[in-house]
Amino acid sequence: MANSLIVAKNVKKIYHMGEVTVHALRGVNFSLDEKELVVVLGPSGSGKSTLLNIIGGMDTPTEGELYYGSLALHSANGRELTQYRRNDVGFIFQFYNLMPNLTAYENINLSVQIAKDPLKIEDLLEQVGLSDRRDHFPSQLSGGEQQRVAIARGLAKNPTMLLCDEPTGSLDLASGVQVLKILQAFCQNYEKTVVLITHNTVISQMADRVIYMKDGMIDRVERNDQPIPAEKVRW
Amino acid sequence: MLWRKMFRDIMSNKGSYLACLVLVLIGLAVFTAFSIASNNLSFSKESFYRDQNFAHGFIELESMPRSDVEGLSGMDGIARVTGRTVKEVRVHDPRRAEGVYLRLVSLDLEEARRVNDVLLLQGEALTSGELQAWVDNQFFAANRLRLNQGLDVIAGGRLHELTLVGVGMSPEFTYALRDFKEIYPDPERFGIAFLPQEDMERLFPETRGRVNDLVFTLEPWADFERVKNRLEPELEGYGLRTIYPREDQVSHLVLTEEITQIQNMSRALPMLFLLVAGVILYIMLKRLVEQQRGQIGILKAFGYTDTEITMHYLSYALVVGTVGGLAGGILGLWLAHSLTSLLLEFFNVPEVFEGISLYYLLLGLLLSLAVFLFSGYHGSKQALKLKPAEAMRPPAPPVMRKTLLERVGFFWGMLTIQGMMAVRNLSRNRGRTFFIFLGITISSAVVAMTWSMNEMIDKLVFYQFERVETYDAKMLLNAPLDRNKVESELQHIPGITRSEPLLEVPVSLSHRWRKEDVLLLGIHRESRLYNILDKNGSRVEPPENGVILSQRLAEKLDVSPGSTLELDSPLLRFENDVYPVQVVQTIPQYLGMNAYMEISEVEEILAQGDLATSFMLAFSQAGDGVGTNGIKGSGGLTDLRDRFRESDMVAGIDSGEERVKQARELMETFGSMIYIYVFIGVIICFAIIYSSSFIVLSERSRELASMMVLGMTPREVFSVISFEQWFVSIFALAAGMPLAQLMQWGLAREMSTDLYSLPAEVSGESLFMGLLITSLSIWLAQRFVFSRIEKLSLIEVLKTRE
Repeated sequence: MANSLIVAKNVKKIYHMGEVTVHALRGVNFSLDEKELVVVLGPSGSGKSTLLNIIGGMDTPTEGELYYGSLALHSANGRELTQYRRNDVGFIFQFYNLMPNLTAYENINLSVQIAKDPLKIEDLLEQVGLSDRRDHFPSQLSGGEQQRVAIARGLAKNPTMLLCDEPTGSLDLASGVQVLKILQAFCQNYEKTVVLITHNTVISQMADRVIYMKDGMIDRVERNDQPIPAEKVRW
Repeated sequence: MLWRKMFRDIMSNKGSYLACLVLVLIGLAVFTAFSIASNNLSFSKESFYRDQNFAHGFIELESMPRSDVEGLSGMDGIARVTGRTVKEVRVHDPRRAEGVYLRLVSLDLEEARRVNDVLLLQGEALTSGELQAWVDNQFFAANRLRLNQGLDVIAGGRLHELTLVGVGMSPEFTYALRDFKEIYPDPERFGIAFLPQEDMERLFPETRGRVNDLVFTLEPWADFERVKNRLEPELEGYGLRTIYPREDQVSHLVLTEEITQIQNMSRALPMLFLLVAGVILYIMLKRLVEQQRGQIGILKAFGYTDTEITMHYLSYALVVGTVGGLAGGILGLWLAHSLTSLLLEFFNVPEVFEGISLYYLLLGLLLSLAVFLFSGYHGSKQALKLKPAEAMRPPAPPVMRKTLLERVGFFWGMLTIQGMMAVRNLSRNRGRTFFIFLGITISSAVVAMTWSMNEMIDKLVFYQFERVETYDAKMLLNAPLDRNKVESELQHIPGITRSEPLLEVPVSLSHRWRKEDVLLLGIHRESRLYNILDKNGSRVEPPENGVILSQRLAEKLDVSPGSTLELDSPLLRFENDVYPVQVVQTIPQYLGMNAYMEISEVEEILAQGDLATSFMLAFSQAGDGVGTNGIKGSGGLTDLRDRFRESDMVAGIDSGEERVKQARELMETFGSMIYIYVFIGVIICFAIIYSSSFIVLSERSRELASMMVLGMTPREVFSVISFEQWFVSIFALAAGMPLAQLMQWGLAREMSTDLYSLPAEVSGESLFMGLLITSLSIWLAQRFVFSRIEKLSLIEVLKTRE
């Protein structure tokens, strides 16, 4: 049994939006292990993004306990969360969120600059297949290319854990599969944890574990002993 | 419904709109207050001049029988002449060590509608033969006098007691300076007293039946120069000293100048504020329209017309313009009254308040609306160009190209990634970059120039009194005297270590068609008490052959060293004699405008023997003991004053230190104006940085949030924005310094008068203060931005599609 990286105990998240109270998470319990690829599946509004934000230190739970090793994320202050995001977590978004005025290389460098033990930018560009596009600005890249830059940026600082929020959501099949391949390779080659949120059930075939979410709660967790290679995923 | 949307939009970005609003408010308040005040001041001045029959011409002469004055009024072009005796006397007050002087002006009580008549503010009419007097209201107030109080003066060497029966005001003394060396009136130590002709003759028996001063008004069609030319030969025989027009009269000159300055300020300042506010609004609306692309598309799809949509975005400008304009205008109206009263008090003009004028309120409002609608229209017009379907699609991602600066390899290599982002952003938004650049350039220049103005005043006064005129006291004689005689008498007075004669002669200097009436100073070649200094501050000896001119005088005469001038003086022995003199050198002179010569050379020109009109004195250490008033050297001064109290020949004794002390006191009042200007500079700078930061925040919140998700601290993220601003600011500050110098130069040219010249250089200290104060306000504005970044919500920003 691998060591647990993240342990969540009865985590709740309540948003107050004006007069409406939204129970985004209604008490979830789970753990994430080292070196595993976890897919979180669920319909819109099931709480999967909230879960990811809380794991990633972008948000804090309203109730419950959440640990990253010995770090209590539920009671961490802004500075601790920043350091956590800085050193331990990599993020990938559906909409890439690249700096429009930095080239591919520079976007990755942005993350390298603040990292303690960064990976080499050239190697990363090679791995995501963009060595020849290193000096292009985001406006000169396709959506798939932009997402690959975003992944390279997320990996560059060599985090323990990569959190991906619908990384293929805006991509066509070919680009999407390419992105998934990179994520899977990262998990295997660098022995890192990758958490991938999606509502695309097909993607779960490549996961070590699948967490199904529904109405702010974990519906069930399934272990997949035979994950398929990413290039075989089709939708 | 759209109005509601607008108000909510404004509320959600209230910081920036507030900055705009404050700028408009200040701009319009200044506009209304200063326009109304200058209007009131000029209206008050005109009606005062009219009511008191203010003279168009002024004549000073030796002495003239009163019966001959009437004859002059028949002269072509002259409407009315009034003859008077004007004498300066010292007030005898044993409790006060410093010299207090009164200029006595005789009034012919019989004469109806005197020229330069006195407006009686309180008290009663003068009665002849009882040594009654009116004094000017400022002297009255400053010395806390009471009506029917006695006032001892030393006239003709004897002590007399005048009874104050009234307090008056005269257009001739709205800005009462004792002599041209002063810049501010000092009513505590100098005032005007008016007394009946008969009583004047009692104080000065030699003036019986005679006058030494004429004032005249002109017929509406008459030309002053022509009248002057006709008057000169007529008056030559009476020892004519000078004839000058109203335009050269000190009080009138200063008052007119000041009104013009206030008028200029009432235009320039508000425009500056409105302009900055207009640009900020333009940028904000432009940004708003970009942000609300989708909303515009939906509105268009609903069937809103282009006009309706434009009107909607214009309404933002309209609201800010109207609210700021109205509030500013009303604040201005409110301030106008106090400002007018303040100015009128300063200039000693009776208040004729026109009442609240809505004209400027409306004009200001129109002005601000015009500026805002213009910038608002340009900011929002792109909303019209979009077709509904196009508007609902997100805009194409900004196209990025490498900037020119990236070719400068070593520079680019020095930058962090944040620095690169900043530089690229700046080159992407060139218009905005230029606006920040311009705003900070102007702010820093205004601050530096203002600071230097403070120093200028300092220089003006202290240069003259601490470096040029270094005497401990100056003894003024009633008439030119044989200097050797006086000198030998002064030598016997214990405590006086040095005495130097000064011969001050009114002369007319002409060069081609240019002509200036100035005081020629005859100074001893080895003078240590009056130092003629060149522009490097080194001492220059007064020439035995030729003349030294102050730079302003040389400019006005259009001469340079080597040119030859014609010198004429009423004191020349032979009539119509013109004496050629060569200009040897020009020197900076901040107070007054003089010509300088060796004293013996002046005496040679006058051909009346060795003369002096005053003596400059230095006291010994013993005499330097601290006097009763705490002024160093006043021990010797008191003795001297006691000794000459009764003298016929001595008009008064001035203390050098007293003059510096007075100047220092007066300067403190000037200081507050300086701070107002510095404040203006700071406000502009703050508003620019503050609002541009908020625009950057709203525009790039996504980028900034992404950086925070990457694990950058708020400070690191903030550094992108601050680097951007400092990067522009450094260039702007660098450009601001030459601009400050340029403004100073313009100001020195614009504001210099015959009374004082302003130095044209900005000092290093002022430049430093300009940099420091502007940088501080930039820093302060950025603090607010930093706190906003700390509160940036990562999730909200990143989840949405741009």
